[in-house]
Amino acid sequence: MPELPELNPVIHGKLRLALLSLLVGVEEAEFTWLRAKTDSTDGNLGAQLAKLEEAGYVSVKKKFVQRKPQTLYRITEAGRQAFLEYIQALKELLGTAI
Amino acid sequence: MTANAEELELKDRLSLIETMITEGRRTTGRYGWVFVLWGVAYYIAIAWASIGPDYLAWPITMTVSAALTGIIFGSKCRKRPKTTISRAMASIWIAMGISMFVLFTALGWSGKLADNHIFIAIAAAMLGTANATSSMTLKWKLQFVCALIWWVTAAVSCFGSASQSSMTFLVAIFLCQIVFGIYLIITEASQRGKAALHA
Repeated sequence: MPELPELNPVIHGKLRLALLSLLVGVEEAEFTWLRAKTDSTDGNLGAQLAKLEEAGYVSVKKKFVQRKPQTLYRITEAGRQAFLEYIQALKELLGTAI
Repeated sequence: MTANAEELELKDRLSLIETMITEGRRTTGRYGWVFVLWGVAYYIAIAWASIGPDYLAWPITMTVSAALTGIIFGSKCRKRPKTTISRAMASIWIAMGISMFVLFTALGWSGKLADNHIFIAIAAAMLGTANATSSMTLKWKLQFVCALIWWVTAAVSCFGSASQSSMTFLVAIFLCQIVFGIYLIITEASQRGKAALHA
């Protein structure tokens, strides 16, 4: 019997998965945009983004625009690769379940 | 967790990925107002040129419109994420605007833009090119119809009389800028309404 793939626990969290799915389609996104799209709180969003950053899946850039702070997130190459592998593993698992 | 519950959870994750990717790539921009603004700007420039010095009418109206577009975009779209498509769209229109500005300003100041037919033909052909490129990138048939209207206008300007070519230009502005822009505004508003209902 073939071995079933394991799902990456860093990506598997619902909010982290939503964040990577959003970031994979854009060049970079602001914190407030991610918060609006995921309907999450500042604290939870910040914590989950920190975990993704710690894993090297997203990079952060902070700057000031018209004297207002702006935090921009971008998916890294490692993040993109891990995300693709996660989808592949998910499909394989679902394939065996169906 | 039972096998069935686990399978449901996995499907839920897959569905979440699809929803978020679609959400991220959705054109969140609202561009109807840009078409309307530029349509009005063309009419102002045409009216101004017909009653005053036309070498001032177009450069000033176009510069003010470009500045207005930049300011409104800066305030409205600052928080939206950039995508490759949005960058491509902006590039098309900015490049066309710069080309038009440089060409017509140079032709006007050098005194070689004496024939109104040529002005309309070049402007309409450039607008046709930008609309066609945008429509092919976005796979948007309605905008390609606008491109066709602009190209027809360019051709009519080469063969028609002065009044025919001016009239065709005015109609093309009305259809491809004002009507198309208002249609976009209405469509974008209804999409926003639907998105609010789904939220």
